[in-house]
Amino acid sequence: MQGVDKRFGGAIALKGADLSIRAGEIHALLGENGAGKSTMLKILAGVHVNDDGKIRLGQNDFITGSPQASINQGIAVIYQEPSLFLDLSLAENVFIGRQPKKGIAIDWDFAEQEAARLFNELGVQLDPKRPARGLSIADQQVVEIAKALSMNANIILMDEPTAALSASEVERLMTVMRSLRSANKAVIFVSHRLDEVFAISDHITVMRDGATVSESKTSTTDLQRVIREMVGRELTELYPKNEHPIGDVVLEVQALTNPAYFRNISFKVRAGEIVALAGLVGSGRSEVARAIFGVDQYETGTVKIKNINLKKGSPVDAMAKRIALVPEDRRQQGLFMAAGVNRNISMESFDQLKGKVFLNFKKERALTDIWRDKLSIKFVNQSDPVDRLSGGNQQKTVLAKWLATDPDFLIVDEPTRGIDVGTKSEVHRLIDKAAGEGKAILMISSELPEVLGMADRIIVMREGHQVAEFSRKEATQEKIIEAATTGKKGWSLGNHI
Amino acid sequence: MATIFKSRQISRETSLGIILIFSVGLTGLINPRFLTGDGTRDLLTSTATVALLAIGIAPIIIMRHIDLSIASTVGLSAWVIADFCAKNPGFTWVQCFIIGGIIGILVGALNGLLVAGLRLPSLVVTLGTLYIVRGAVYVVSNSVDYNAQEMPPSLLSLGQKVFFSVLPFPFLLVIIATIITAWYMKFTKPGRDCYAIGSNPNAADLVGLKVFRRTFLAFVFSGFMAGIGGVFYLMRFAQVDSTAFYGQELAVVAACVIGGVTILGGSGTVVGALIGALLVQTIQGGLAALGVDAFWKSAINGFLLIVAIFADRRLAARSERALLSQRIRERE
Repeated sequence: MQGVDKRFGGAIALKGADLSIRAGEIHALLGENGAGKSTMLKILAGVHVNDDGKIRLGQNDFITGSPQASINQGIAVIYQEPSLFLDLSLAENVFIGRQPKKGIAIDWDFAEQEAARLFNELGVQLDPKRPARGLSIADQQVVEIAKALSMNANIILMDEPTAALSASEVERLMTVMRSLRSANKAVIFVSHRLDEVFAISDHITVMRDGATVSESKTSTTDLQRVIREMVGRELTELYPKNEHPIGDVVLEVQALTNPAYFRNISFKVRAGEIVALAGLVGSGRSEVARAIFGVDQYETGTVKIKNINLKKGSPVDAMAKRIALVPEDRRQQGLFMAAGVNRNISMESFDQLKGKVFLNFKKERALTDIWRDKLSIKFVNQSDPVDRLSGGNQQKTVLAKWLATDPDFLIVDEPTRGIDVGTKSEVHRLIDKAAGEGKAILMISSELPEVLGMADRIIVMREGHQVAEFSRKEATQEKIIEAATTGKKGWSLGNHI
Repeated sequence: MATIFKSRQISRETSLGIILIFSVGLTGLINPRFLTGDGTRDLLTSTATVALLAIGIAPIIIMRHIDLSIASTVGLSAWVIADFCAKNPGFTWVQCFIIGGIIGILVGALNGLLVAGLRLPSLVVTLGTLYIVRGAVYVVSNSVDYNAQEMPPSLLSLGQKVFFSVLPFPFLLVIIATIITAWYMKFTKPGRDCYAIGSNPNAADLVGLKVFRRTFLAFVFSGFMAGIGGVFYLMRFAQVDSTAFYGQELAVVAACVIGGVTILGGSGTVVGALIGALLVQTIQGGLAALGVDAFWKSAINGFLLIVAIFADRRLAARSERALLSQRIRERE
């Protein structure tokens, strides 16, 4: 790709971006949110058409215009949110659009055998006959990769494939990526986890503001340089945690149990304190948070806010008692993607916007401005649908929405998943500031450096049980990993910067 | 033969079949005539048109769309066929089917262009064409009705034809249409694309499925079935006026939903839609046998529909839990 331009309306997404990829290499595409990485991938995927510039595949010009055209040219894309058909079987998902035929009918037996063989090759036990509904994101990705393999794709694009994976799943994915490389395929991947990038990639291309900043062999560059190139400045302080006075108990959870997900969970969170729930993905952390907030049911146990019992299964009651939950999946659970930034931010703060009879839209505008400035959210118009914002700005919007309700107790579930280093540090600063204002904070995170850097206390969960608790002073990566895995290796060390 | 949706789909049609047999038996207990050849024939005759239309719109509902214009299309098709036959005494049943099919395809193509081509919401588009087509019937019919003497005798005798002493000709066609459509939906690429499009429309675009073509053709198919439904209408009633089949589109949608074709798209089968149509009709027959006032009919239909959607959601929730725990077991 050479000198590729792409504009969306007035916004310029790409401005003379270059990218060159060779067969048999793993190529990392880095940059902050909004740098244009996803746009590059989408042009190759055939979702967008470039306005200017040249793209060549081997000797031929790349034919843009439709996803089908890209597939025909041997390009397979694995999106950040897997795009599976949940009602269809796994075998069918692998072969969608290219079902094997026997005569005029689809040969389901063959499709299922092939799918089973591919899953096996990828080292995952999956029943090809089951529907995709109910699979974890990691499993869904495996299905997507099996699909790419079955297409015989030469170029495989992965948009933040590891963002939602646990450590062992990341390991598994890396093994798969290496075997793709030895099969002489080109793998392009976007990631914000720089340790992974350095562990697996052969080449690194860094983008900033829609243009390519550098392309280099991984062996000839280093972490500090890449970060500098991404951010355009030196990052001094990644975990801006300050000491805050710890006040009274705000949240008290006692013997909370939902046999399917977690058992006998008890802990307290005090005003000004950040407590982290650590553990592997699937250990029940998010489920505990959802049960506290009332989105999910629990069977036994109590949740108290400032010594008052919270109604079971009632988010309305939770919100009335000033609890806020910033969910793990911002697109599905946190935002109304088609609604404007202003509507999203003011969504939970109607009381503040009441006029005499109707909502006061002036107040809504004012509120949006306040939070835009506080969190430096970047958007053109207040009414722009959040769908158009970059991932980092979306995450800030969800945060703004809940911070605007001025909660006493704030739950943040994976607050920095899939956002870039610079924004990450901003989000951390915001969380710290909230604690400084005397809010009690429960943070769920899969990234150990984040847990260690931000939390006053760390509670570790394993398979639905609360297995350990460390103070900020006692906690080390090793201790947490050990508690979370009973000695099993392979916890992701997350993003070290 | 490979079963695609092991846990949910098969049990779905089977359990519906069991409910159907149960309600047929129950109705038979109240009114023994119901189980005789005559009774069965009546049931199948009265179900044929709705069943045919249900087969027609099942793929559309599976694609997360809806077609409300079908009942109006039946009316238009029936009236125009009768008009042609009245003016051309030489016409036989063959011309009736051809005219009906063409009218249906035209209406379906209009719907398809608007929904697939302009990407307008099908609910609104077909609500519009529902009124447009019905309006067209009012205008062209100009209050003229047609009766048996204007219809081709070959058509009427075909409508009376019974196979194996219980199977009326129209219902034989329904069964053939079910088999072909069910096979098509399960074993061909376009058929599977319908499920994919209904399951995740965005992903369907991303993997390069021919969304326009599939959607367009599904509406043409539904229109075609409605056009043939016009022929069925004439075979059954041997007369037609401008209000023919008025308001029956919702009965067809109800049959599909009761038959397990999820209104949210992505799942359900043509066989289920057929069983749904039969079930609604059987229960109606049972209520009539019980001497329940005909005025209660629509209220009870509505109640059934809500029960069905409730059962559907419960089953979906249960199978989702089952799928989750299956994966957990597989991991361990």
